[in-house]
Amino acid sequence: MRVTDAMLYDLVSRNGQAAKSRLDQATAQESSGSRVVHPGDDPGAAGLIVTGQMNASTLDTIATTAGRAADELQTTDGALSAVADGVSRARQLAVQLSTSTYSASDRAAAASEVQGILASAVASLNAKVGNRYVLGGFQDGAPPFDAAGNYAGDQGVRQVEIAPGVYQAANVNAAVAVKGANGGVDILATLSALATALQSNDVSGVQATIDQLAQGTSQLATARGQAGAAMSTLDAAVTANQAARDTATKTVSGLADVDAIAAATNLAQAQYALQASLTATAQSFNLTLVNKL
Amino acid sequence: MADLIQILNNAASSLAAARGAAATASNNVQNANTPGYSRQVAVIEANLPADQVGDVYLGQGASLVQVTQARDRFLEAQLPAAFAQSAGSSAASSTLQAVSALDPQAQGGIGDALSGFYDALRQLSQNPSDPSLRQAAVGSAQTLALSFNSTASAVESARTGADAKITADVSQVNQLASTVASLNGQIRAARAGGGQPNDLLDARQSALDQLAQLTGGAPVTTNQGDASVFLAGGAPLVVGTTANALSAAADPANGGHVAVTLSVGGATSAVSPGGEIGGLLSARDGALKTAGAGLDQLAFDLAGQLNAVHQAGFGLPPANATGNALFSVGATAAGAATQIAVNPALTADPSLLATAAAANQSGSGANVLSMVATGTQPLSTGLDASGALAQVTSAFGSAAQGIAAAAEQDASLTGQLTTMRESTSGVSIDDELIAMQKAQTAYQAIAKVIQTSSDMLDTLLQLT
Repeated sequence: MRVTDAMLYDLVSRNGQAAKSRLDQATAQESSGSRVVHPGDDPGAAGLIVTGQMNASTLDTIATTAGRAADELQTTDGALSAVADGVSRARQLAVQLSTSTYSASDRAAAASEVQGILASAVASLNAKVGNRYVLGGFQDGAPPFDAAGNYAGDQGVRQVEIAPGVYQAANVNAAVAVKGANGGVDILATLSALATALQSNDVSGVQATIDQLAQGTSQLATARGQAGAAMSTLDAAVTANQAARDTATKTVSGLADVDAIAAATNLAQAQYALQASLTATAQSFNLTLVNKL
Repeated sequence: MADLIQILNNAASSLAAARGAAATASNNVQNANTPGYSRQVAVIEANLPADQVGDVYLGQGASLVQVTQARDRFLEAQLPAAFAQSAGSSAASSTLQAVSALDPQAQGGIGDALSGFYDALRQLSQNPSDPSLRQAAVGSAQTLALSFNSTASAVESARTGADAKITADVSQVNQLASTVASLNGQIRAARAGGGQPNDLLDARQSALDQLAQLTGGAPVTTNQGDASVFLAGGAPLVVGTTANALSAAADPANGGHVAVTLSVGGATSAVSPGGEIGGLLSARDGALKTAGAGLDQLAFDLAGQLNAVHQAGFGLPPANATGNALFSVGATAAGAATQIAVNPALTADPSLLATAAAANQSGSGANVLSMVATGTQPLSTGLDASGALAQVTSAFGSAAQGIAAAAEQDASLTGQLTTMRESTSGVSIDDELIAMQKAQTAYQAIAKVIQTSSDMLDTLLQLT
């Protein structure tokens, strides 16, 4: 084949450009750590990266949200625990002061203590997380219990997503747990009745509250049990979603990130190829009759 | 004595031939780097008829008969199509490669914004009355809308950029077509005078090569030696000494993007050029248009689905706003990604965000969860939002990858053909220096012949 000078220059130019292009690509991959920058780099992976990143983000948010719901339930459980302690103390007083051993003044003093327990219970049940009253159901913008123990909330049960499309109840229904809706005991009303009976030295009235307070304690224990189970579910959801997020992130990384060793090797190869190309170019330019005649 | 004078005459002719050979080699060297130049060859032949002296024929030296071009018509016939194919795929590939708005890992892309929006809704569902979460949800909806706007705008900008390049190319094509038509006339005139206008032929070939690259126009050589150029479908761009004009004008039927037309004798018709213009048209109305339409459909479907859920829900009491759309979007999918925006009423007052499924339920996130559920519900394409976006991304990526591979292959084929043409028609400095050396040696030898003949004549004259 007849070789002309222009062919030599074209060849050098093409090969040099190709070597520089490969070096540029290898450098970009090595420095960015990413092998799929443009969708055309790997169309299949590009689509999977989009869905994978969204999936990882979804799982991360579900974990965060479930964690917050668990924290709220922790607050709710603390409130119910405080109320349960108060109810237990109130029942102890009711049992103690329902005997003839105690005087009217003793019962009046106990009445004050029960009033305090009631006030404390109301304060506990009006617990807030952020700006929301956690025991108000869907009516979370105002204190659900007034000083007399009346309930202004509703029986709304908030749902939290614990996996894509899977939901978990994330609040305690105070109407049932505290106010005894659906056939239970109105704990706050019972405390109020106990205080009134003690104040009026009404022994039979005091005795009438003992079983109700015991039932109330059981009612609160049930509610706390439900809250505990929900917290456990939410905590498990946090762990599971974080693990799933890590897997999804790893999958995306596997699709999008360069193999560091391969990238370094490619970079070294590209550098050597360019050096060889430049050396060959310099030598070939000297081989002309112009330099010999 | 007559023979000796004949020798001198013959030597003069041969000396001129050697000088012509040297001049041709010299011209070749001087044009070694001239684009489109084809190596010229000095054709030297023995002078005929030979001089008969008795029974013997004595030669009469040599003459420069003509200076031809070294060309391979077979190769040159293949080059226009190869140039057109390569320029087309290269232009299409560059156009698609320049679009970064659909990069899968781009920060602030639609994927990011879509994730951010649904993440904000999920967080809001856990505490729907929280004003900061409501604000964040509305903000993420705005980010999503803006992301659709900017991505659609980037795709549309790439299409508009292709329009600008097509318009510039059309102008260049018209200039080249006029050049070819003019050169046809000049070549015709030169040949009528009996010469071979090599430099004019080179100039025309160079213009034809560029026309092939820009339009895919195939040159057809007529019996008169004219080169006519026809576009795909036989549309005549250049016929003999007449150049017809291409135009690029906005086409309302294609969103105002330019269409290419050819005016022949006052009649204008649409044409579909190949080459670079064809590649630009293909990228603009192929992968880019498809990606834009995919984004429009996704924006339209998503907005429609979310609006339906949002309109059924209720905002915070006491207003308990209901029936509000979350996004404003056009009545059809066309242009939806460009138009989509968050309902300004919600932007101004996030408490209107319909988070509850019933009135007076500030703590209920039931409607937010319904909105969250739209993220996994199938859209009109049969895919959910992330799937639809992944499909748009992958489809665009496949088109970009395919055309990039084609561009590489086409460039390789064109490079191969160009190399082969160069091998035949290109100038080798070494070859030409050798030719110069050869011509110089011949010139010196012929000069010696003249010297010797002169000496012989002197000898003869001294005898008389």
